[in-house]
Amino acid sequence: MAQAVLEFRDVLKRYGDYTAVDRVSFALAPGEFFTLLGPSGCGKTTTLRLAAGLEEPDDGEIVLSGNPIAAPRRGILVPPDKRRMGMVFQSYAIWPHMTVFENVAFPLRVRGESAGALKKKVLDALELVGLGGFEARGATSLSGGQQQRVALARALSYTPAVLLLDEPLSNLDAKLREQMRFELRALQRRLNLTVLYVTHDQSEAMTLSDRIAVMRQGKIEQLGNPVDIYERPATAFVGDFLGRTVVLDGALKKTGDRLFLEFAGGERLSVGENHNGKFADGEAIRIVCRPEDVRILAAGPVAPTEITARVNEVAYLGDHLEYTVGACGRSIIVVAGKHERYPAGAEIRLAFDPARLTLLHIES
Amino acid sequence: MTTIAVPAAPRIKISRFRFGEYGALLFFAVVMGLPVVFLLISSFNISPPSKEAVYGLDNWVRAFSDPGTLGALWMSFLLSLTYLIPGMTLSIAIAWLIARTDMTGRGLVEFLCWFAYFVPDFPLVLAWILLLDPNFGFLNTAAKAMPFVDGPVFNPYSFWGIVWVHLSTGGVWFKVMLLTPIFRRVGATLEEAARVAGANYFTVLRRVSLPVIMPAILAVAALSFIRGLESFNTELLLGTPVGIYVYATRIYDYTRHEPAAYGEATALGSVFLVVLAILAYFYQRRLKGKKFTVVTGQGYSTLRIKLGRWRYVALAACLGYIAVMMFLPLGFLMLGSVMRRYGFFHLREPFSLIHWQNLFGDPIFFIALKNSLVIAAITAVAAVALYSTVGYLLVSRKVKIAPALEMLTWMPWVVPGILMSLGLLWMFLATPLRSVLYGSVWGIALALVIKESPVCTQAFKAAFLQLGPDLEEAARVSGASWTYMYRKVLAPLVAPIAVTVGFISFGNALTSISTPVLLYSPQSRPLAILLMEYSFSGEVERAAALGLLITAMVSAMMLVGRKFVRPLTGNL
Repeated sequence: MAQAVLEFRDVLKRYGDYTAVDRVSFALAPGEFFTLLGPSGCGKTTTLRLAAGLEEPDDGEIVLSGNPIAAPRRGILVPPDKRRMGMVFQSYAIWPHMTVFENVAFPLRVRGESAGALKKKVLDALELVGLGGFEARGATSLSGGQQQRVALARALSYTPAVLLLDEPLSNLDAKLREQMRFELRALQRRLNLTVLYVTHDQSEAMTLSDRIAVMRQGKIEQLGNPVDIYERPATAFVGDFLGRTVVLDGALKKTGDRLFLEFAGGERLSVGENHNGKFADGEAIRIVCRPEDVRILAAGPVAPTEITARVNEVAYLGDHLEYTVGACGRSIIVVAGKHERYPAGAEIRLAFDPARLTLLHIES
Repeated sequence: MTTIAVPAAPRIKISRFRFGEYGALLFFAVVMGLPVVFLLISSFNISPPSKEAVYGLDNWVRAFSDPGTLGALWMSFLLSLTYLIPGMTLSIAIAWLIARTDMTGRGLVEFLCWFAYFVPDFPLVLAWILLLDPNFGFLNTAAKAMPFVDGPVFNPYSFWGIVWVHLSTGGVWFKVMLLTPIFRRVGATLEEAARVAGANYFTVLRRVSLPVIMPAILAVAALSFIRGLESFNTELLLGTPVGIYVYATRIYDYTRHEPAAYGEATALGSVFLVVLAILAYFYQRRLKGKKFTVVTGQGYSTLRIKLGRWRYVALAACLGYIAVMMFLPLGFLMLGSVMRRYGFFHLREPFSLIHWQNLFGDPIFFIALKNSLVIAAITAVAAVALYSTVGYLLVSRKVKIAPALEMLTWMPWVVPGILMSLGLLWMFLATPLRSVLYGSVWGIALALVIKESPVCTQAFKAAFLQLGPDLEEAARVSGASWTYMYRKVLAPLVAPIAVTVGFISFGNALTSISTPVLLYSPQSRPLAILLMEYSFSGEVERAAALGLLITAMVSAMMLVGRKFVRPLTGNL
């Protein structure tokens, strides 16, 4: 990997007794779209603000292209205006007393750009976000989506080292959000921008990011590409946060190379062979998988990768059906296509794919 | 774009911001706290100022053994409480009519109250003397002409006279300006929910609206009561001649003794501070946090009660009150200034401009005018510069000492002008500041700036709160230094508030008497003090002319600036 554009090394931020960012480390490669994903209060926005220089870290180092920009132990703190960042705020922060042109021109004026180059760059940036011809408009007369584009143009009018985006799509309506998401990704690819993106919306994170860091209580819970994180969540929290999950608890039983999960009722489920060594015989284990990876079969002989279940409720959702089923003493939700139907009360089998199961130690 | 050169990191001490912050706190502690400390210390100093200090309890003993001292304190409370009751009742009624009914001409009534709010009180007191004086008051003269009446009917130099005049000056207009926005802000949704639930208008008023705004009304009452305690002008003109002293006039009286009894004055001031501290403590405990959280419905209320034909009656009542309490005295002030000898209508040429000519012919007048303008200009500029900074510091999330700073800025609400001046006077005398500040326009301006602290700070604080941190941070991340950001983003956005603060500080500086009364010298005498001196020397006609002139100056300024100047009431 080429030198990281932005790197966090063990960064710590406290507010009094509360630790907002707890020794977080990650690095952004050039041209990477990196997302901090997590519920509100998990420290993702604070992390972004640390990168922007709007908060001072209490410990650790933040490094921009090899140069430390915040390192409290060495007494280094580069103020936000010297960091060459571009930032889009959740509220857009469009200056109401300036026109669209003046808003976008601001970062260039600060840098003493000559009048001719400034005008060209501003118009280019506005063209880029699809706001050509809006330059003379008052900033406050724009719609939410247009303000969002102005904020983006302002962040891009000069060439920022890193583009920081703080939930930029959360104030838009659903349709516009989808469109802006697509445009944002295309723009990032075209300009090869390095982006640090903050969101609590997992589908936004999945579709936009090269890599995702899922945060919880100030810590990075898992860092990886979207497929990894969705398919192989490192913790139950990550699995749950990224979508609906099927969760079953039991005790691990080893029979030669093969591993089984034994449930309270004595039923067994084969969970594959690849977890040797990580788990001990008899240990309490939780399995996590996605509802769409569980198949529903009519009652019949039970294979090792299957368990029996009973349909409690059926919900018709148009393009698919959602079954609430009771299995191994738990109520779980699985989905199925609309062509195979089972009424409430029906006995069924649930077939698992051992390759798509995640085994976790049960946190005591 | 893959490799980006970032200039070598400038090394910045992280604590730089902290330093500025503690600097601001220290400055305020000195400016606000030191006069009080000096006041307390000097109350134990039994030798006159500028002599070597000798400490003892003599001042306190003398202050308390003088029955007039505690009597003056008691009188302050009694007066403030007495006119608070009709004042609150009237202003609640007027504010309710303006904000919650379809009274005809409610916009006009609101404008007139706004105007009356800015009319300085000293000229009005003077006008009431012209109307009610037992010897030459017009209403008494007129009454005497009626059958079965001999001797004066009205006497303004009395307890009830003082109460009456207060209802014409600070007692009502100020509260209307505070209460109207509160009434307006009662969330429409709260009331609509009650209506839909089946309550009629009066049930809504009784069960929802009133309970919701009660804490705000109590807060206004408490603030008005404490403000009433510092009242000086009315009591000076109407109480002193007949021996009714409130503590502010008593302090003034002590300083006028020959030789000046500064010891007793500072002891009395200190007692009052203790009483105020107790009051402020209870006020905070009872009302803190309740003031605004309650009035948070969404949207302005559109639910107005329909008064039917009473809408004209209500208008007539409001206009009648404003006419009698504001325009009648202002009219007689004008009349007084153009009569050769006030009250003597039977003279061959009763009307003349001689007093205006005398006023403009008096060299002292021009010195005072210049002093006033200089003082007011310094006050306005300094108030805007200082309190915008303080407001910014209070809002900035980075400031750790914000609560302490904010408490200091509230102090002038409870420390009356004359006490603040007394403390400052001692501070000027006892420190090297003496040569610059003692008896100079700078010293007076400093006192006035301090006095403006609560309202101005809160106004700027509200403005910065409303802006939020994002606009500022967006500029910083865009590459603007703090100063560039302040110039291009914050300053233009808070400009309307800055103009308002400037105008109001200027106006208050022009009309204040109790704050400069202990600090001026013949060289730095402002117009308001000159007006006081004219009134005492029995030149009522010339005083009327000057009072009218000051009133006209302030009113003209407020009307010109009406676009910007709103009373800073939403923030109190």
